[in-house]
Amino acid sequence: MEEVALIDIFSEINWAIIAPIIVIQGILLIVSLIDLVRIEKTNGPKWLWFIIVIFINIIGPIIYFIFGRRQD
Amino acid sequence: MQWMTLFKKELLENIRNLKWIWVPLVMILIATMDPVSSYYLPQIIDAVGGMPEGTEFQLPDFTPSDVVMMSLSQISSIGVLIIVLMSMGTIAGERKSGVSELVLVKPVSYTNYITAKWAAVLLLTLTALALGMLSSWYYVNLLFGELSFGTLLQIIFFYGLWLALVVSLSIFYNTLLKIPGLVAFLTIATILVMKLITTIFSHLLEWSPNNISGYINQMLVSGSVPSELTGAAMVTIVMIILLVASSIYMFKSKEMAN
Amino acid sequence: MALLTVNNLTKNYDGKSAVNEINFQFQPGKCIALIGPNGAGKTTTLRMLSGLIKPTSGSVTFSGMKQNDDIRKYIGYLPQYPVFYAWMTGKEFLVYVGRLAHLSKEEANKRTEILLERVGLTEAKNRRIGKYSGGMKQRLGIAQAMIHHPKLLMLDEPVSSLDPLGRREVLTLMEELKEDMTILFSTHILGDADEVSDELLLLHEGQIVESGSMEELRHKYQTAKIELGFQDNLANYHTKIGNLPSVVTCSMDRNTIHVTATDILSARKEILAAASQEEWPLTSFAINRASLEDMFMKAVSN
Repeated sequence: MEEVALIDIFSEINWAIIAPIIVIQGILLIVSLIDLVRIEKTNGPKWLWFIIVIFINIIGPIIYFIFGRRQD
Repeated sequence: MQWMTLFKKELLENIRNLKWIWVPLVMILIATMDPVSSYYLPQIIDAVGGMPEGTEFQLPDFTPSDVVMMSLSQISSIGVLIIVLMSMGTIAGERKSGVSELVLVKPVSYTNYITAKWAAVLLLTLTALALGMLSSWYYVNLLFGELSFGTLLQIIFFYGLWLALVVSLSIFYNTLLKIPGLVAFLTIATILVMKLITTIFSHLLEWSPNNISGYINQMLVSGSVPSELTGAAMVTIVMIILLVASSIYMFKSKEMAN
Repeated sequence: MALLTVNNLTKNYDGKSAVNEINFQFQPGKCIALIGPNGAGKTTTLRMLSGLIKPTSGSVTFSGMKQNDDIRKYIGYLPQYPVFYAWMTGKEFLVYVGRLAHLSKEEANKRTEILLERVGLTEAKNRRIGKYSGGMKQRLGIAQAMIHHPKLLMLDEPVSSLDPLGRREVLTLMEELKEDMTILFSTHILGDADEVSDELLLLHEGQIVESGSMEELRHKYQTAKIELGFQDNLANYHTKIGNLPSVVTCSMDRNTIHVTATDILSARKEILAAASQEEWPLTSFAINRASLEDMFMKAVSN
């Protein structure tokens, strides 16, 4: 039932409104992934940060930038 | 000249560690989430199964000012948290690692060192706030009706003062302590205690900086700047100056070796 | 005129003194080693001289320094564990600290290139400091300390944390630098002090227990010994040497005879005379001068 409802909501959405937000989320995700690939060391295992960044929407990249990135 | 050298180094560092990318992006997301989700609230409710039969629940009609205040309240919570976390190590971290020793053994003025750090964090914070509110304003105009650009600028200006106070608090604790996590904790704790005191002594502390967003709301409703907002803005500016001045004083009198 | 004069310099931490009323001065152009065991107060002393910490009492003056002048203009300081901005390149860091020391943009750039060349980092100048080795960081540390033409270069344990290769790099660099500037460095490794310094300051429990030039101290603490190696029959010569007029003690172990004397020169004369006359089967003859270790132990025990 939920699936059907979700399809409904997708068709009703004006993509011009949602697109910029999705794009910004995408940039955030891509920037954090690129940084994660290039950075030498992270606080904690790198693979864990990949999982966090990819699977936790928005919050993942934020906590990576704040806590995962080594500044030294 | 020395000030510019220090300031430029902060900017370069925040570009290389990507703060200049992620902080504004996150602020935009925080500020736009509520305008967009409020607009789609009926569809979202439908999608998750609709209202139970027989509930008399009228979805509110949001005015532009309601929605802009939603953005502001998101920035007040998540936004402030992010600002505090991204600034918690700006001085404390340098002292913890020891790199400040190489800098401060050069003939560097402590005033320049502190104010350059303060200005660099503030510039990033205010830019992020402006971009976030600008995108919120864009959606408000698109989905909920007109809000003048002048009003937006007023909001950014007054709310920017509040965030400048948050940044100054963070810098203050940065000069006191060497542990970034503790800096963040004390900054947040101070904001919460200020809020508590403001609530308890609300009749005495009309000009408390914590009231700024409340007065911004009043401003949106009435269409003119309430006198309390001007008062709170002045108190905020004075507090910022005091915080920065005492940061410098303490940094000078403190032994950087410890 | 003395370049630096230190007067009754004292530093207390929680009532305990880390450095206790030390006095010294030195001339420009020297290389001075501040020697002492860990915890003797070497770092505290250097940090006071560099302006990083304030003395509890006492004063530090440079020749030509104005009243209330910023002492940091005159010194270059390398801490024991220098930490850099890992995200900067070596070149960026030197230009940055040069600008902080009030050099113009052009000067800072010029000086950076010269110093990079001098410490052998020209090839690595555009690499991030995070990727530098320990020896390279130490050399970059020396370069940053020299960026503003300081009157005095202070190095805190410049080689003790380095591997043998890095140690050699930095000691060689110091040998070169001391040709044209005044260096004050601390170390707990006496051999390093012996190798590069002209003058010594022996620090023990926050006090200077001895100071002077290498030669002066050697002379003062001279306990020269003669060591003799023989092909065979040590015991035979042991008695003979023991009977020589200027010999005080004479001991032997498996293949060496150790001799101390009232006057080392006459002892040498007597031994060599006897040796050539009687054709002793000598394999080695050596006069050992007092080592820094010996001096230090004596100075501390006094």
